Amino acid sequence: MTAGTVTPQSLAGNDLPSPVKYAGFWAGAWRRFRRNKLALYGFVYVVVILFVAISADWIAPYPYDKINPEDALQGPNRQHLMGVDMLGRDMLSRVIYGSRPMLLVGVVTQLAGLVIGVPLGIVAGYFGGIADWLVSRLIDLFSALPWYLIVLYMVMVLSPSLENLIVALTITSWVGSCRIVRGMSLSIREQDYIEAAQALGLPTRRILSNHILPQVAPLLLWSFAAGIPTAVFAEAGLSFIGMGVRPPSPSWGQMLGAAGQYWQYFPHMFIFPSLMITLSVLAFQGLADGLREAMDVNINV
Amino acid sequence: MIPYIIRRVFGILVMLLLLSLFTFTLSRVVPGGPWMQGNVEIPLPQEQVQLFKEKYGLDKPILFQYLVWLKNAALLDFGRPFSAPEITVTQMIAQVLPYSAIVGGLAALLAIFLGVILGILAAAYCNSWLDNLITSYAVIIGTIPSFVMGFVLVYFFAIKLSWFASGGWGDYRHLVLPIVAFGLPATGGVARWTRQCIAEAMSADYVRTAYAKGVRQAGVISRHVLRNSMIPMITSFLPLFPAMMTGSIFIEATFGLPGLGTYFVTSSMTRDYPLVLGITMFWAILISVTYLITDILYGIIDPRVRLENKK
Repeated sequence: MTAGTVTPQSLAGNDLPSPVKYAGFWAGAWRRFRRNKLALYGFVYVVVILFVAISADWIAPYPYDKINPEDALQGPNRQHLMGVDMLGRDMLSRVIYGSRPMLLVGVVTQLAGLVIGVPLGIVAGYFGGIADWLVSRLIDLFSALPWYLIVLYMVMVLSPSLENLIVALTITSWVGSCRIVRGMSLSIREQDYIEAAQALGLPTRRILSNHILPQVAPLLLWSFAAGIPTAVFAEAGLSFIGMGVRPPSPSWGQMLGAAGQYWQYFPHMFIFPSLMITLSVLAFQGLADGLREAMDVNINV
Repeated sequence: MIPYIIRRVFGILVMLLLLSLFTFTLSRVVPGGPWMQGNVEIPLPQEQVQLFKEKYGLDKPILFQYLVWLKNAALLDFGRPFSAPEITVTQMIAQVLPYSAIVGGLAALLAIFLGVILGILAAAYCNSWLDNLITSYAVIIGTIPSFVMGFVLVYFFAIKLSWFASGGWGDYRHLVLPIVAFGLPATGGVARWTRQCIAEAMSADYVRTAYAKGVRQAGVISRHVLRNSMIPMITSFLPLFPAMMTGSIFIEATFGLPGLGTYFVTSSMTRDYPLVLGITMFWAILISVTYLITDILYGIIDPRVRLENKK
């Protein structure tokens, strides 16, 4: 068959298989993702830290709250690879357990943010009118102040703890995904295939779940990964000033705050927790950047 | 232009109303009050607490309290802080604002200055080793929390070399480290955004024409590229100033600066309602007015933009 002619057979695929096989959106995305070194680092790091957090009970050499005043403030040595803090607790064990609040805050707040933000955004963008007005005012309200101020205030009013930190971060983290989804649904609504679906009399519920949601899915995956560094920063920062995870449970930010007046003479107390914060933020940032490139999502918000 | 501004100001007022309602109810509905130390009740006689409540009207219904506050706030009277009744909230903010404004403002200036230079260099030598170096720097520096940066700087420049002070407030020696610690991590984002804006402007047809005419690289960049990439740059860098003034909470904690952030933290902890509300309102106004100015400026610098049609 000559190139350029289109016959029903060629359209139906009964002809010779086409030379370029389209492996599908996700396969292509994975191929592009692997090319990005930082993204690959992020992926590997996340897998490792996930393993560390889950198996903390088995791999930590000491209990995180075991006080041993004789050893206090030792530098890194054979028994304590990351040294010992001012109460004689093993730093390595505390760093290992510290991955738990980091992951918990990052993943739970972003997931909860999606669960709240996506339906609100789709409804606002698709239906418009009063629903859109209400949702937009809510978005305005939460964008009026930087998120960390709202989080800080709520955590302090509700009393500082890991649970309240998660609640406060959830309440602020739905805004980002909601705004993205609202904008996308607004433009998707005008597409021909939506009009076709409406003309066919598809129930609105199906249009929303089968035609709009798949379109925003790649973006949501990106926004999920991109939101985690923010949450990690928040957990670290608030725990640092004593507004997050309560002692004796360890968190990297809280370990930094506890390093207080000691770290100047015992730098190991601050090097390891801050290294972990930076490596984690870098990993999730790389993961998010890699996902954006791989899935070719345009973010113009 | 004028109707646009009026509409925007109206939007800001609605937002402020909602925000004050949210902050107000949140602080009142949870148990506890100014007579609590965190979650521990200060051993005060019940009559004292009752007197206190009556004096500040805290025994009235929440909606009534809010309406009273709103009526006073509309006349720009935000009350007096429980912790310092001798001055008004407005005076209090005016007293501590300079600390946050100087540190945040100078840090934002540093971030923009350094970030723009790096971004221009990266874009000018696109895909070279220099570009790779700058891009890696931008990604990595952005992942360091400012308080961690503060620790590192204090360790080397205050303790080991003792060039600068490690905290407190005084002359320039106290200012350098907080500003650098706060500004440096922000250079990453600025550099990446600058590089992207310039790279976009570089791909325009008139740039290719200029090169074809034989204009040197420096000339093309300064005369054609920079002018056009300025617009998205200015509009995204201006909001950096209020953002960094409010975001100095952690840096104030690290360096022990008595700024607005510190007062926000202590006043929410001690349930100093008038001060919390005052600071919140002040910040919200500062930020939304900056965005308004940015959008107006956008229309002035770039005549192609019609604000009236912008949603």
